[in-house]
Amino acid sequence: MSPLGRALLVAARELFAERANPDGLAAALTFTGMLVLLESLAFGPGRARQPDVASGVYWIAVLFAAILVSARSFDRDLEDDAIDAVIALPGGRDALYAGKVLALGAILLVVAAAAGVLSIFLLDLDIALPGQLLLVVLLGVLALPPVVVLTSVIALRVRARVAVVPILSFPMLVPQLVAASQGSAAALTGDGPAALAWAGLLGAFAFVYGVLGLTIVPAAIE
Amino acid sequence: MIETTTAPFPTIRLRPWLGILATAAAILASWMGLVWAPTDAVQGDVYRVIYVHVPTAWLAYLAFVVVFLASVGWLWTRRPWFDALAVASAEIGVLFTGLFIVAGSIWAKPTWGVWWTWDPRLVTTAVMFCMYLGYLLLRSLSSDFERRATRAAVLGIIAVVDIPIVHLSVLWMNSVHQLPTVARIGASPALDAQMGMTLGVSVIAFTLVYFALLVERMELERRRQAQLLRSRA
Repeated sequence: MSPLGRALLVAARELFAERANPDGLAAALTFTGMLVLLESLAFGPGRARQPDVASGVYWIAVLFAAILVSARSFDRDLEDDAIDAVIALPGGRDALYAGKVLALGAILLVVAAAAGVLSIFLLDLDIALPGQLLLVVLLGVLALPPVVVLTSVIALRVRARVAVVPILSFPMLVPQLVAASQGSAAALTGDGPAALAWAGLLGAFAFVYGVLGLTIVPAAIE
Repeated sequence: MIETTTAPFPTIRLRPWLGILATAAAILASWMGLVWAPTDAVQGDVYRVIYVHVPTAWLAYLAFVVVFLASVGWLWTRRPWFDALAVASAEIGVLFTGLFIVAGSIWAKPTWGVWWTWDPRLVTTAVMFCMYLGYLLLRSLSSDFERRATRAAVLGIIAVVDIPIVHLSVLWMNSVHQLPTVARIGASPALDAQMGMTLGVSVIAFTLVYFALLVERMELERRRQAQLLRSRA
C-alpha cells in the first residue's frame, strides 16, 4: 500500500471511530457554540458583531476545538492500545501523523462551519466577500492540524499532557491566529486584497508545518 | 540503544579560560558602555541600555539556533552530548530572552512612555520566550532519558521557525519598535562609529559569557547523565 493509502486508511479509521463515538466532535461543537454565545455577553451585542472581535473570538474557539478533538482522538488510541498497533505496521508512524492530520482537518471543517453559521446568525454579521471568507476559513482550518497533531505526538505519554499540548501549540499557532483573524475580518469588511494576502500566509503556514511534521514527527512517536 | 558516555565533553578543557575571558570582556564592555561611549544627542544616557538589549537579543537568537543544531545532532547520531548541548543552550536562551524583554521594557518607559505595548516585536519575543519555556517544561515532565531527548529535539527543531518571525516582525507589520539597527539586509549599521565599537565589544562579551555558562551547564548535565547510567546499572 502507498504512503498516501496508509494515511487515508488511518484517517478513515479516525473518522469511523469519531462517528461511532462522537464525543470529541460533540465537545468541540458545544464549546464553540458556548463561546459564540458568551462573546455577546462579554463584549455586548454591539461590540460582539464588529468584524475584528467576531473573527478573533471565532478563531480562538476553533483553536481550542482543535485541541479538544485531538486530545480525544489520542486518548481513544491510548485507551485501546490502537496506537501501538498502527506504529508496528510498516510506515505506520508516517501514516499515523498524516492520517491524524487529515482526520482532524475534516472534523474541524465541520466544527468551523457550524461555528461560522452560528456566528453569522446570532451576531447578525454582514459578509462583504463570501468567497474570500470561505477561502480564509478553509486555509485557516487546514493550518491547525499539522501543529496540533505534532504537539500532541510530542506530548503523547507525558505527565499533564492536557496542559502541555496547549502550552506548546499556542505559541506556534500565533501566526495562524493572527492571519486567520485578520483575514476573516478583512473578508467581512470588504478588503479583498488583504483577505487574499492573509489567506496566502495561512497556506504557507500549513505547508511549512505540514512538511516539518511529516519530516521529523514520526521520529518522536513512541 | 543509547550509548551514554561518562567521559568529559571536549569543551571542558576550555572552562577556566572561558570564564577568565568572559569576565575580562564583561568589565571592558561595561567601562566602554558606561564611560567611553558618547551620550546620544536625542535620548541622552538612556540609550546605553542598547549595550545590554542588543547583545541579549543576539544571544537569544544564538542560543535557540544552537538548540536547533543540537536537536538535529541528537536525532541524527543519538549521542547524549547533543542533548546536553540542547538543554544547556535552551536554559541560557530563556534566561537571555527574559533579560532581553526586561532591558527592552526599561528602555521603552522613558522613550515610548510605557513599560509594555502590544507591538509585533514585543509580542513575538514574548511568544518565543513562552515557546522555550514550554520546551523546558516538556523536558521536566519526561523521566526517561531517550524519550525526553527525542521529544525535546523535535520541539527544538520546530521552534526555530519563530526566530526569523521575531527578527523580521518589525518589517512585516506596523511597529513602534525601530527597524533593525545593526543586522540590516543590504546596508551598513546605522550607528555612530564609537557606539558601534562599544556595541561590538558588548556583543563579544555577552557571547563569551554565553559560552562560559554553556560549558558549565553541559558539565552539570554530563554528571546527571553519568548518575543516570549508574542508577540503571
